[in-house]
Amino acid sequence: MMNNEYNDWLKTKEAEARKKQEQFMDRIAGKLKRSRLREAPEHPFRGAPMYWRELEWSLEERLARFEDNFTAAGGHVARPADLEAAKTYIMAKAQALGARYILRQDDPTLAELGLDEALAATGAKVSVWNGHRSEAWIARAAEADFGIVTADHAVAYTGSLVVQSAAEKGRSVSLLPTTLFAIVPVERLITRLGEVLQTFDAAGREALPAGIHFISGPSRSADIENDLTIGVHGPGIVFALLVG
Amino acid sequence: MSSVKERADLALNNDFLRKAVRFTTERLRDGKRKAADDHGNWEEWRERGRQIRLHTIAHLDYYLDRFAEQARANGAHVHFASTGAEAVQIALEVAARKEAHTVVKSKSMVSEELHINRALEEAGVEAVETDLGEYIIQLAGEAPSHIIIPAIHKNRYQIAQLLSREAGEELPPETSVLAGFVRRKLRAKFLEADIGMTGCNFAIAETGSIVLFENEGNARMVSTVPKTQITFMGMERIIPSWSDLEVMATLLPRSATGQKLTVYMSGITGPRRTADGDGPEEMHIIILDNGRSEQLGDPEFQELLNCIRCGACLNACPVYRHIGGHAYGGTYSGPIGAVLTPALNKNVAEWDDIASASSLCGACYEACPVKIPLHDMLVYLRRRKVEQGYGNKLETAGMKGFAAVTSNSKRFHRALKAGRVLQRVVVRNGEISARIGPLKGWNRYRVAPSLANQPFRERWDTLQHELRASVAQTVTGAAAQERMKAALHKRAARPIDRKEGHSYDE
Repeated sequence: MMNNEYNDWLKTKEAEARKKQEQFMDRIAGKLKRSRLREAPEHPFRGAPMYWRELEWSLEERLARFEDNFTAAGGHVARPADLEAAKTYIMAKAQALGARYILRQDDPTLAELGLDEALAATGAKVSVWNGHRSEAWIARAAEADFGIVTADHAVAYTGSLVVQSAAEKGRSVSLLPTTLFAIVPVERLITRLGEVLQTFDAAGREALPAGIHFISGPSRSADIENDLTIGVHGPGIVFALLVG
Repeated sequence: MSSVKERADLALNNDFLRKAVRFTTERLRDGKRKAADDHGNWEEWRERGRQIRLHTIAHLDYYLDRFAEQARANGAHVHFASTGAEAVQIALEVAARKEAHTVVKSKSMVSEELHINRALEEAGVEAVETDLGEYIIQLAGEAPSHIIIPAIHKNRYQIAQLLSREAGEELPPETSVLAGFVRRKLRAKFLEADIGMTGCNFAIAETGSIVLFENEGNARMVSTVPKTQITFMGMERIIPSWSDLEVMATLLPRSATGQKLTVYMSGITGPRRTADGDGPEEMHIIILDNGRSEQLGDPEFQELLNCIRCGACLNACPVYRHIGGHAYGGTYSGPIGAVLTPALNKNVAEWDDIASASSLCGACYEACPVKIPLHDMLVYLRRRKVEQGYGNKLETAGMKGFAAVTSNSKRFHRALKAGRVLQRVVVRNGEISARIGPLKGWNRYRVAPSLANQPFRERWDTLQHELRASVAQTVTGAAAQERMKAALHKRAARPIDRKEGHSYDE
């Protein structure tokens, strides 16, 4: 069977690679004029400078800074008081922009929004991402006018949304649609990048999802004569809704 | 192959290129300066970045091995390639096994080193660059001329022409129209491609993750949509942990474009999980040496491996700003390219004279977020070239002659005397403009001053008397006067050794 042949080939390649890997490591150690290092070395300079780790802003300051940074990068920020207000906001935008295809992640916060019925009532087609093989998910995402996600974190200092992939949270939802909406429950808004990054160290390899994406505004390019273009591949319009 | 000088002449005669490169690099440089100032304590962060990179490279066998094992545990297939040719071979094998028709690529300097596009095309596989700038220069059949802004040398009319050819219709030279065309065109390519190829900004040893920084979203596309992902990675791209990524994420975007963070920073840990609805089903990571390990254990060049490819040294370099990237003639341009290109190539005979195209001002070192002393390395390269007998023969002879004359005071002063007499033939208004002998190169763009009729040394005794007499009058303030007097006293007390070669009289 073709598949078996392919797997055999992969195994051959892995055996080759492991042999080569040993050569690589031996060469490195040889060049560094010492024996191979098998244990983790002490790393006294790990992470950001000490003073930086003490920085923590109040919620009000985090909100204000996030808004400044995200807006400066060309994104839009709104601060609806609750999910109901967020829903109203998205509905208004859907009407204003004439959104017909909408794709959202499948998570409890977004389900609670109750957007699906409201949007369907306007004639829009709403899809909810899940891992079902039957659906051509990437095609759904590519045709979508709106992609709606809940951010796992947001970072005030850099003005970034953080989205992590999962079966019910496709990477395409925050990438392929023309417009991206990210719901950010305010308690998920932290000060520094390092606060999020260190959770990945703490969680360890096995706990990490395949894709972790920091998104700091609309897709952009200045490759043509330094002239800023928005939405060159990813979403050109990005809304961060800080809820709460 | 053309010489650095020929390529530079070509660039200097291209008015648009010079203006565009200058405008862009200055904008990036100013942006970096502002971003660094806004962030604050920049020197501390630079030092931190340097220490993390030094530590990682000094323990590279541990960290690289750890990365490979963790990446495999994530389900990725890891390959090691000693040379560019080996890396290409592995990628072509994967493409053949997958019966790939189309490969979409995000920006990767390593893949530029490999000339993978050409290899794929020869194997009948379409390779499409998807970074807007890379796509433009791919259509033009050129190489990137800046690490961060690859099409820095193209204007919108040239770009409109290239894209119109692709579109089969006339596109106006308007950025939004051109970018819109590329979005539609490449969107279709992303969806039909069999393989996505990426580079790797950082690889995290502890979790086997790769990290990509980008603004357009094309790197996310190529690592999300196609079923197979191939990532090319220089063996030195490693950092130990996600915590260390905070330092790199602070230094890299600010140094490259002045951004607080690029629009997208993606950490990819293995292929898609079983239940995931997107992401590659299969992921190959090809780790490349290609001359990098040659720097290890070399006290003069090991720090070269600390480079995080931000391009700040290009933007700071007065030479790069004038001649642009193509004049460097290699994959990497600017100060980092001037050092990296020869350093990656063990064969000194193949080095061209790009290391000489620098004024050694040190602006590159000042700009470098991990403090690589590139200007020192340029000197080491020049020395190695000369030591191995690949210097300019005339220059070597000239230097020997110069040493013979100047290491002996009698010979030196005789030569000066002779010079003062002989120069009368060529001096006009105190300047020598004739392009003769050793002045040929210098006088091409400027004139040399003539030797003074009365040398400083002959005037010194008189000057010293005048100085003593004037100290009391010109130096005000008692403390300052005391200091000056003490200094003069000290100088007078020191016996002048007339044999040291600093005296003038024969």
